[in-house]
Amino acid sequence: MKRIYVLYLFMAVVVLSLNPDTISASGEAFHGGDILYTRPLKAVLFSHRAHVEEIGLSCEACHDGIFEMSALSVQEKGDFTMESLYEGRYCGACHNGSMAFSSDSQCARCHIGVKGYKRLSQPGAVGEGHRGD
Amino acid sequence: MRLDLDGLKKDPPESIPAIERRQFLKMGLVVTGVFAGGTVLSLISNIQRVFASPEEFKEKYPYTPHYSMVIRQNRCIDCERCLEACRRTNHVPPYGYRTAILERTIPDAIGQKREFIPVLCMQCNNPPCVRACPTRASYKHRGNGIIMIDSKKCVGCKACMVACPYNARYFNEEKRAIDKCNFCFDTRLSKGERLTACAAACPTGARTFGDLSDPSSDVYRMVHQIERPVWVLRAEVGTRPNVFYMKA
Repeated sequence: MKRIYVLYLFMAVVVLSLNPDTISASGEAFHGGDILYTRPLKAVLFSHRAHVEEIGLSCEACHDGIFEMSALSVQEKGDFTMESLYEGRYCGACHNGSMAFSSDSQCARCHIGVKGYKRLSQPGAVGEGHRGD
Repeated sequence: MRLDLDGLKKDPPESIPAIERRQFLKMGLVVTGVFAGGTVLSLISNIQRVFASPEEFKEKYPYTPHYSMVIRQNRCIDCERCLEACRRTNHVPPYGYRTAILERTIPDAIGQKREFIPVLCMQCNNPPCVRACPTRASYKHRGNGIIMIDSKKCVGCKACMVACPYNARYFNEEKRAIDKCNFCFDTRLSKGERLTACAAACPTGARTFGDLSDPSSDVYRMVHQIERPVWVLRAEVGTRPNVFYMKA
């Protein structure tokens, strides 16, 4: 009997140590997962997978210089606007037309709208392979 | 009389058949505009006007002001502030709509794969809804060309809903009448406002509202140029919309 309890305890420890932030196979929270911005307007989807895995950016490329580690904290700032992006802040640090497509073009590439927001707000929608395409 | 079917000549789709054109002019109708792929073409009763000759084409819009909207489609991000403003301003119930945002996804496109398309009543110059209405509740305003509804005359037969190629109408349960976009005429324009609620609420400039008969207006400048394509939705149904689309 005692052996079984020990085994359970061991398994519990193993499961807890599998931190989804580091080794999630499904990509649910891979390198921070998908970030859904809803302010100043609905909505923009940022995909960590697209930026880290596909483009190969390092964490340090954006954190903590351009964006704080804490997701969505940038939304609390009054200057998280398109004007700031055009001046090279936030997303505009790279999305300036030379490093990546310019912030003043291809609007609906990042903006998914209220329709996209509603789709992702359905239970279990975020993090199941949606990309900020 | 026998018709010589083989001998009939086909008019090119972009032109109004010559006979029709002659008859319109005889009736005192104005044919205007060659811009936006020939879609800025108004066939509107203008009985008072006298023509020197049937060939006298007037580069002039039949209404003053001739209200129009230009939608710069690529600027729409579906934030739906226009929809909220419209509901608030015109008391649109949750089950109805006066304007909507369509979404189109093209997975194989390079880069951006998503497109939002704002739609509303096109305030057609040749409105099928007005023709379909048996009680003349739907009518085109003589002064400004807006398609309006006299809800007291509306019997709720929904013939206009079927006739509209743009699905721009819904039945308002509270009014017991059809409701639709009227460019905020009763709620804003008639009270001195210069923009519709949706155009005023748009943060990206996707909706530009103005007077197409005023050469200094933004809508006039956007429509009367040839550098960027301007189009209307479902041009093939011949409704001559006053809502134009472009990407700029």
